[in-house]
Amino acid sequence: MGKLMLIGRLAARDIRRHRARAALLLLAITAATSVLTLGLALRGVTSHPYQQTRAATNGPDVVAYLPVLHQPGHRPEVSPEAAALTRAAGVTGHAGPFPDVWAVLRFHGLTAGAEVQGRAEAPGPVDQPELTAGSWVRPGGVVIERSFAEALGVGVGDRVTLNGRTFTVAGIAVTAARPPYPNLCYVNAGGCMGDFPSGTQIPARDIGLTWATGPDAAGLVTPADPLAAYVVELRLRDPAQAQAFVTAHSESQDNAGPSNLAAWPGIAAADGLLVQDEQDVLSPGALLAALLAVASVAVLAGGRMAEHSQRTGLLKAAGGGPGLVAAVLLAENLILALAAAAAGLLAGWLAAPLITSPGAALVGTPGAPSLTVATAGEVTAVALVVALVATLVPAVRAARISTVRALADVARPPRRRPGLIAVSRRLPVPLLLGLRLAARRLRRAALSTASFAVTTTGLVAVLSFHVAAGQYQAASAGGLPDPAVTRDGQILLVITVVLIALTVLNAVCAAWTTALDARAASALARALGATPRQVSAGIAAAQVMPAVPGALLGVPLGIELFAAASHIGRLVVPPTWWLAAAVLGVLAAAAALASIPAWAGARRPPADILQAEAV
Amino acid sequence: MNETAVPGAAGGTPVLRARGLRKHYGKDAALVRAVDGVDLDVDAGETVAVTGPSGCGKSTLLHLLGGLDRSSAGEIWLAGRRVDQLGERALARLRREAVGFVFQAFHLMDELTAVENVELPGLLAGQSPRAARRRAAGLLERVGLADRAGFLPAALSGGQRQRVAIARALVADPLVVLADEPTGNLDSEATLDVLRLFDSLHAAGQTLIIVTHDSRIAATADRLISMRDGDFVDQTRLTGGTTGSLGTLAGLEG
Amino acid sequence: MQQEVVLAMLAKEPSHGYELRARLQQALGPAGDAMNAGQIYVTLGRLEKAGLVTCEQAAGLADRPDRKVYALTADGQQRVTEWVTDVSWPGPGLAEFHLKLIAAAAARLADPLAIIDAQRRELLRSLRDTQRAAMAEPDGSDAALLLEGIVLRLQADLRWLEACERKWTGRKDRS
Repeated sequence: MGKLMLIGRLAARDIRRHRARAALLLLAITAATSVLTLGLALRGVTSHPYQQTRAATNGPDVVAYLPVLHQPGHRPEVSPEAAALTRAAGVTGHAGPFPDVWAVLRFHGLTAGAEVQGRAEAPGPVDQPELTAGSWVRPGGVVIERSFAEALGVGVGDRVTLNGRTFTVAGIAVTAARPPYPNLCYVNAGGCMGDFPSGTQIPARDIGLTWATGPDAAGLVTPADPLAAYVVELRLRDPAQAQAFVTAHSESQDNAGPSNLAAWPGIAAADGLLVQDEQDVLSPGALLAALLAVASVAVLAGGRMAEHSQRTGLLKAAGGGPGLVAAVLLAENLILALAAAAAGLLAGWLAAPLITSPGAALVGTPGAPSLTVATAGEVTAVALVVALVATLVPAVRAARISTVRALADVARPPRRRPGLIAVSRRLPVPLLLGLRLAARRLRRAALSTASFAVTTTGLVAVLSFHVAAGQYQAASAGGLPDPAVTRDGQILLVITVVLIALTVLNAVCAAWTTALDARAASALARALGATPRQVSAGIAAAQVMPAVPGALLGVPLGIELFAAASHIGRLVVPPTWWLAAAVLGVLAAAAALASIPAWAGARRPPADILQAEAV
Repeated sequence: MNETAVPGAAGGTPVLRARGLRKHYGKDAALVRAVDGVDLDVDAGETVAVTGPSGCGKSTLLHLLGGLDRSSAGEIWLAGRRVDQLGERALARLRREAVGFVFQAFHLMDELTAVENVELPGLLAGQSPRAARRRAAGLLERVGLADRAGFLPAALSGGQRQRVAIARALVADPLVVLADEPTGNLDSEATLDVLRLFDSLHAAGQTLIIVTHDSRIAATADRLISMRDGDFVDQTRLTGGTTGSLGTLAGLEG
Repeated sequence: MQQEVVLAMLAKEPSHGYELRARLQQALGPAGDAMNAGQIYVTLGRLEKAGLVTCEQAAGLADRPDRKVYALTADGQQRVTEWVTDVSWPGPGLAEFHLKLIAAAAARLADPLAIIDAQRRELLRSLRDTQRAAMAEPDGSDAALLLEGIVLRLQADLRWLEACERKWTGRKDRS
């Protein structure tokens, strides 16, 4: 017990003595844990609001499309076999059949598709959509589904045309019977059936739900485009059996039987597609952020190895063994990781409502998603792993160094890389210096390459997203904004900012560490005749040279990442000049970030430095 | 820039000339006068040794003369050109072309072989790699380390390392070689090797300014300057023979 | 006891035997512990015989050496002057040079710093010659070893001379 306290005390004292480094470490891991928390918070969100909507609207357990019998001279009606569905075993109530009409909706220059259901003006026992504005259907007055209305930009009182006829928007409502715009047609085993009048082609994502009175809906039908289906909504005695019910009754293959049955779990799933999208964006984002955090921590923990050696030497001289030394180093970083986990959880929890207001269509805001113990546990575990992975190598090395060497050495002596030395001879002076400087600490250079690769991967993935979104919008004839795309774009922005912040942190820390390590070597170079400008350029080059392969590698990786995360079946390749701009921008930023510490380090007269340090 | 040449004692232009050289640190109560009004003339081919107790400012003086540090006051001329007011770039060129420096701690790059260390100033000066390598190899031969060209400093003895450092200082065929306690870290045999080298450089006409504790080096200089508290207190030319002989020194009755 | 040292002790003024002894003991400190009275008086006797020193009996005192008053002759004076400026090396020991400085200062024979400086220069010249001889020797020759010994001793002596210079400068500053 006493030993643990000793370790804790030593670690705490060390953190106090190196506040800046501790703060930077904390920042890096917190960034990663915040993004991770956000990602995890989304997981619990989806089912919750749907349940609320279902309860509030008496949502049905099964929704079925019944084919229409067209007999010349008679009104279209439901086939008797289909109608028998309402009397099937397990059904305790039903609503409908409602006429279901496909209409082209136009409003203020926008064109969209509307699935118009004819409903009674009085509320029914099953599926009574809940109004969020205005009033229910009336002759000449239609009610539009909430997210559809948002996308169109209509409000109560506006006038829209359906198949050429003008209607007033009487109200706006939500329902649990169908997924909200733009996922209306994405119910599994459901989907949209029906053609639009005059063969107008409208993509599935541009179709939304609208309610009208029965006669109004019927009036939208033309002889050329007769009524396609009736909708019936069922309540079952045992809602849990909904999927089994659907399976049982879908087996009848003949045309007269019911088709396109959807059970409420499937609707709930489609309902959650928006949030699923967001998660698809957040998870890779969190991964990239975590990788960058590892890189930052590794640089910060491994930088100034001299300090470490000295510290551990003193520890050992004071009587601790290698175990104690490693324990203190690890304890320091684990303490910081725990603090970062807590900070990240807090930040993520505070930011989550902004992201998880789960699409406009679902009733009520779930509020801040509850921080489950599982989430907290996972985030903490990740933070600890990040700290562990990054500091393992320095800790082990520190533990194995002998005391005398640790006290005497300035730092680990650099390894000789004959190939790089030979190559550097042919380069102009700044590159010569830069390559040799980078070669002295190849592991750090590799870390730099990885870090820039991660950043560029993120940037290119974002670019791919924007290209895909653009293609998407172009394909959407009606000009309606896709809320999923909008939302994804917002989340990507946040992630991009986090990635860039982490990269800047990384680059500055690495550059500073390099400049410090290179102090004696650059003083010698100046004593031998290199100008301060050449030396600064060299130190900056030592940072930029590893960044080049990293940035280049990030391009294909980013494209692949987007392809994997976005479920688009093909590779989306951004235009070449976008990619070139991204790569060059990253490299320019690397050079700029590196040159400040480089310039600062090259100013002092060489004499002072050479007196103090061995090269 | 003032280009007027100042004639030296021998009638020709001295290679190096300093007037009123000062280097101060701090101020008021904490003012340290590391170098306090030094005047110096060094003729071509001369070997000058500067001795003095630690802290007397001799290393600082050398750094000032070699452009590694800036003086607080005073003027320095190198081959008739004023050099104390030069900008950083011109100073760097000076160090590349006119001045060679040898340090007590050798300051060789640990990860470069002997020949790679020696060719470094040439590469920094923009010479082609081949030319720089050729010159470096030649200089290593000059200092007697041709067979050690491919060795890392860790594999060389102290004396050998210093000789590599001296070779490096000679790359640009400098006007003057400045050596700061070159034998400070060496045992007596290594010191002898370095002494031999300095002797042969002197014979070849190289101008040397050596700051040293070591009376052996001081004894073989043309001129011996004693320094204390930042200024010269004594200048000696050790001319003439001795009253005794080597025999008497060795303890044989003369 | 070196004859010249005793002579120098009398340069300032004539003195009794016991006074001489006291002055020597003070100058030598522990290094002079092994010195016994007899040595001084034997030397004084020799000096008298050589005509460098005169000896007077103080009136009314017993015929004992420590009560006699000794003084330099003209020859003795000259000998002292030569001795002060002599820079041959090595002497029989450090004590001689040490006493030379003290005597020179006490009797105002010469500036101790100038003596130190002159001896230093001589040692440096010797060092130079020895060094040149050492460099001319082939590697591993036996003579080289001897020469290295000489070099090391000369270096050590030079360091001591530096210490002397520091000390005597301080003394001068204070006086």
